[in-house]
Amino acid sequence: MNENDSHVPENAPLALHVDGASFAYAQTPALEDVTFDLRAGEAVALIGPNGSGKSTLLKGVLGLIHRVAGTVEVLGESPAPAGAVGYVPQADELDPEFPVTLEQVVMMGRYRSLGWLRLPGKGDRAHVAAALDAVGLRHRARARFGELSGGQQQRGLLARAIASGPRLLLLDEPFNGLDQENREALVGTVKRLKAEGVAVLVSTHDLELARDVCESVLLLNGGQVAFGPLDEVLSLENVQRTFRSVGVELDEHTVVVPGHTGH
Amino acid sequence: MDVWGAITDAFSLPFMSRALVVLLVLSLVAGVVGVLVNLRGLEFISDGLTHAVFPGIAIGFVWGGREGLFAGAIVAAVLTAVVLAVLMRRAVPVDAAIAIVFTAMFSIGVIVVSRQTNYVGQLEQLLFGRLLTISVVEVVQTVVICAVALLLVGITLKEQLFRAFDRTGFSAVGYRPFVLDLVLNVAIALVVVAASSAVGTLLVLAVLIVPGAVARLVTVRLWLLFPVAAVFAALAAWVGLTLGYVASVGAGINLPSGATVVLVLVAGYALALAGRLLLDRFRRGKHQHDRMRAPQPRTAAVR
Repeated sequence: MNENDSHVPENAPLALHVDGASFAYAQTPALEDVTFDLRAGEAVALIGPNGSGKSTLLKGVLGLIHRVAGTVEVLGESPAPAGAVGYVPQADELDPEFPVTLEQVVMMGRYRSLGWLRLPGKGDRAHVAAALDAVGLRHRARARFGELSGGQQQRGLLARAIASGPRLLLLDEPFNGLDQENREALVGTVKRLKAEGVAVLVSTHDLELARDVCESVLLLNGGQVAFGPLDEVLSLENVQRTFRSVGVELDEHTVVVPGHTGH
Repeated sequence: MDVWGAITDAFSLPFMSRALVVLLVLSLVAGVVGVLVNLRGLEFISDGLTHAVFPGIAIGFVWGGREGLFAGAIVAAVLTAVVLAVLMRRAVPVDAAIAIVFTAMFSIGVIVVSRQTNYVGQLEQLLFGRLLTISVVEVVQTVVICAVALLLVGITLKEQLFRAFDRTGFSAVGYRPFVLDLVLNVAIALVVVAASSAVGTLLVLAVLIVPGAVARLVTVRLWLLFPVAAVFAALAAWVGLTLGYVASVGAGINLPSGATVVLVLVAGYALALAGRLLLDRFRRGKHQHDRMRAPQPRTAAVR
């Protein structure tokens, strides 16, 4: 059973409202006709095969991809109010040789509110320290970002998003290749953020994560396959339709697709 | 002969002190801008800019003589910087397009200069600079152009670093990378222009790229990169200039000053690289056991 849904009041304010939204790269449609709502303190899992449009949806919400139809509103506004959305990219997209410390990466989350020309002050450093505490990496603050493990880098990027004080958090495959310790740390942080009223949209292949932190599931495959409460939507039939494979299986932790050998 | 005396005497000569001032200002600014060139991997773009600025310098020179040189160069530089920023917006690789445009620009410059009577001499000056015959007016122009470049980079420095580290994350929080690319391109172009009279448009590439690369070898601390690059470049400039003077006065060997400075830069890079490799080997030997791979994460994902 999903233990989380009882925590979110029915009348929590809408953090994200997506209605009939389609996105396209140049002339090529990437994701069509998506409709769902996400309330403050709630989490939605995006599930679908590679290339199904999970990243496209996240980038569409950020306004980085052209929306060709429909509505996307963050906190009732379009485009999203400044600083309202935090984005956590996949750590392995970044250059591990780049000479920055974890602390400096997290500080980047403060730049937008600082504005041009101003250097971080005491208040910003306090925010950075708090964000590092939130992900349990305060003791690694001075370490070079590239020297951290993949999981710690992922948590560091989450801390960067937290430092900007977002109301809506977008996570792109945060659990890829993480060990148990980092998974637990990440799940714990995300749950605490939800309790503080942050809305979370997370793309994942990991059903355990979905069950642990999400109330709802959005199944994607070039378009919307299904959206709704996790227990209703995450059925074998729906997942088979999403992955377009009848051989697909659901076990406790993951979607098992024949022919795929994991990593 | 007294070498040290020759060195201290050298910069009491007006043409030597002018050369030193120009080179020091140039190397400090190129060092700072060069760190960003290194972090962004813009070496190819910078190389292209040195070629593209050339016709501007040539046209300015033909049109207004030595005083017109900077005006023409700035127009060409800013124009090219804008075109480049627009090209870089597109996700598709544009290296071929950039290379074609730049070599075409360079050829235009050569043709413009070839219309002049003293063709070979002029071309040589524009390509390799004439550090020792630089005028006071040109010193002032160089300092002003360098100051503008430094200001552009200074105002946007923390954002430039964020963008260099994580372009997607940078746009995600609402910044526009295009604006920053434009600012950095213009700054690089201005450094190329500023260097054109001193070390020439071809050798400026070394002043832009080598100090940043050396700083990366010397330190992994972000805010140390900039002073290390600037101080290294200034030091190489001073050593190069002095070496050229001593060789010429002491041994009667006439070394082209711009090229001498570049070779000193490169020698410094070789030293830094050797030092880095030695240090890495020493550390690897020491920490062999720490470098054992961490246990593989469990696979719980469909790929």
